[in-house]
Amino acid sequence: MARAPRREREGGNNGSRHVVWLSGLACGLVVAITPGLGLAAGGLLAPGLAALMLDKEAGRPIARAVLTCGVAGSVRPIMTLWNLGPTFDTALSVLFDPGTLVTAWGGAAAGWLLTQMAPLLTRMTLEAGAAAQTARLRATRARIADAWELDSDADESRETP
Amino acid sequence: MSTSVPLIGGQYAVDLSQPLPDAAGGLPAFTATDRRAPHRTLMAVPMKRHAPANILASQLSTDGITGLTLPLAHGPGPEIDGEAGYYVIAPLPEGPSLSSRLRPWQEAALIEFVLRPAAQALEALRARGLTHRGIRPNNLFQGAPNRPVTLGLSWATPPAMAQPAVFETPYAALCHPAGRGAGRIADDVYALGIVLLTLCLGRQPMEGLDDQAIIARKLDLGDFAAVTLGERLPPMLSDILRGMLAEDPDHRPTPALLSDPIGARGRRVAARPVPRAQRPFRLGEQTAWNNRTLAHAMAIEPAEAVTAIETGTMAYWLRRGLGDAALAVRLEELMRQQTLESLKNPKMMVMRAITAADPLMPLCWGPLALFPDGMGPVLASAVNGDATLTRALHEIVDSEAGGAWAVMKEERTPSAVHRTDARQRRAMLVTKGPAGGLPRLAYFANPMMPCVARILKHAWIASPADLPGALDGILAASPDSDILDAHIVALVAARSDRWLDAEIRGLTNPGDGADLALASISLFSALQQRFHPLPLPNLAAWAEARGQPLVARWRNRARRAEIKDRLKALAAEGFVPPILVLLNDPAGRQADLEGQRAAVAELARLDAALRDIADGEARRSALAMRLGQEAAAGIGLLAAAGTMILSAIG
Repeated sequence: MARAPRREREGGNNGSRHVVWLSGLACGLVVAITPGLGLAAGGLLAPGLAALMLDKEAGRPIARAVLTCGVAGSVRPIMTLWNLGPTFDTALSVLFDPGTLVTAWGGAAAGWLLTQMAPLLTRMTLEAGAAAQTARLRATRARIADAWELDSDADESRETP
Repeated sequence: MSTSVPLIGGQYAVDLSQPLPDAAGGLPAFTATDRRAPHRTLMAVPMKRHAPANILASQLSTDGITGLTLPLAHGPGPEIDGEAGYYVIAPLPEGPSLSSRLRPWQEAALIEFVLRPAAQALEALRARGLTHRGIRPNNLFQGAPNRPVTLGLSWATPPAMAQPAVFETPYAALCHPAGRGAGRIADDVYALGIVLLTLCLGRQPMEGLDDQAIIARKLDLGDFAAVTLGERLPPMLSDILRGMLAEDPDHRPTPALLSDPIGARGRRVAARPVPRAQRPFRLGEQTAWNNRTLAHAMAIEPAEAVTAIETGTMAYWLRRGLGDAALAVRLEELMRQQTLESLKNPKMMVMRAITAADPLMPLCWGPLALFPDGMGPVLASAVNGDATLTRALHEIVDSEAGGAWAVMKEERTPSAVHRTDARQRRAMLVTKGPAGGLPRLAYFANPMMPCVARILKHAWIASPADLPGALDGILAASPDSDILDAHIVALVAARSDRWLDAEIRGLTNPGDGADLALASISLFSALQQRFHPLPLPNLAAWAEARGQPLVARWRNRARRAEIKDRLKALAAEGFVPPILVLLNDPAGRQADLEGQRAAVAELARLDAALRDIADGEARRSALAMRLGQEAAAGIGLLAAAGTMILSAIG
């Protein structure tokens, strides 16, 4: 009975490890087949890759957001590179174009900013909902306590969330 | 209180400004007028609260009895001595009483104008199962010389209460004045005999002696010998009186026989003379020569009697002194019975010993003596009165002494009725609360006794039917009056023929103030519903005030306010029954309690929800973090997909 969770946990690590290995293999294939494309993609998505390495949380939520936003900013340069021919020189010219780099990395930065702002906004929304519910419950409680002359100070000491 | 005094019987008015001092045998009497026949001369005799009579009007007033003053009506009248008055209306006897001009009468006149008419009147009473018990010179009236006398009114006091000791047998004279009982017609024959003797002598026999001396001499010498000691009487009258004054009432001639004096003279019952001892038996301060004086001595000295019985000195004297071995054996049996009984009761033993010694003796209990049929008036006189008398009565009823007394004289009269009465009285006595006890017994045993509650001092209330109106009047004058007086409850319990038993029981076992309030409102509701169809605003206001604890029991504030408003409106209407219906609503109360239980549960649920929200900050924070990051990832994915699609489109 005690071994099953460990097995599951090990299985989960194996799956993640497989994804990493497959991702690495895919990247290796891309770099091997089209080194220019790989260079450009690596450069443009460098913040996302760095986030992947730095983000230790389960599911890597920050890295995913940074990466996907970085992808959003990198799609057009990559397609331009593909259309011009994915040579090494072309990749370098695309990579060193300041506008392209700012767009790609700006997208990654926006992704990171989103991961920092979205929880705050969500938290504010949830707290507002809890406060509204507390007020509603307190009003109901006061009405019932008053109608039946029951103790009305049961929740007085309770702080509003 | 209302100052208007209603007419008694709807036609008789009492005038307290015109007293009639010699019209009612020594009792106070006043002039009364008949509004329908103003020429009639009537008198009104007031009845005392603690000495109620028992007027059997239905048996008396349907047809007249010649030579007898009968009550015409009775009812509440003007206040007397600062209290509500109740009067017996009767024709004013013709002429003065015989005592007003006492002189020696001729034998023929005595027989013709006193004995014969009085005997005829007594025979008429006997035929109706009644006795007079008020035959004495100042209660016999003669309209004119050589006219038959008329017996005066006798139904304004308990039987024989106003009789001087000499006109009663020593046994009745020994009793509490109110406890002499209705007795038998033979007791009236005895009193008539003394009246004849008084008129014959022109003075009252045994004049100057106190009651105890009269009783002692009669018991010692025999009644006839005691009252005629040293007197010379006409032979015929002497023979008649010897029969009329016989110690044993069974030996006295009947009134019918006395109507024929010749026959009465010829009927001589030879009574065996009472044996007299050679030497006396001393019991405390008393000296006994025969069984009658021994019984009397035991009644006077009950503590000494216990010692004498237990030490055997009395039985020894009975055997060796009086020669009455049978009585000695009975006393020894009584002592053995007393020893065997788990609860020793010396008073019971002495009472039995007295009755064994002389079966004609009344029920003697400590210093109190009474005949069981006179217990009702004694109870009435004891209410709010002497504590010693009350205690003695309590003991008599509680020990069913009346039944034991009757059993001791079973050879003379059947005891079943007395035993049943004693059991019934005891059952009433031991009932707890206002539904029982001596007050209820007093009202039960005296149907004409009014309620003696202090607040009803100015109203003569003898029936629950009169109570609602009277109490409403009292509450109008003093709204804070305690109308739940124990005497009022006892009166209702005794006179309501059991139909208010449930309400009375409610007063007996109140759970709390609210239960008592409900029981009291229920009682007055039943009384108004049954007896008083008109509004009683003050009683209803009292019920409203009394019902506030019941209103306070409602948990729901809105419902309580609604009931309070409704209660006020009903009180203004003046009817108690709707108030009771409003306050006594078990289904509504149950719903109210269930509503409160549901409210408590709902509050608990709300409190739990509030606690959950207050304690859920960390959970919400984690959730916000997870949702935010997932949302960020999702937005990033959408952005990537969107740019891909846009790039693909061109």
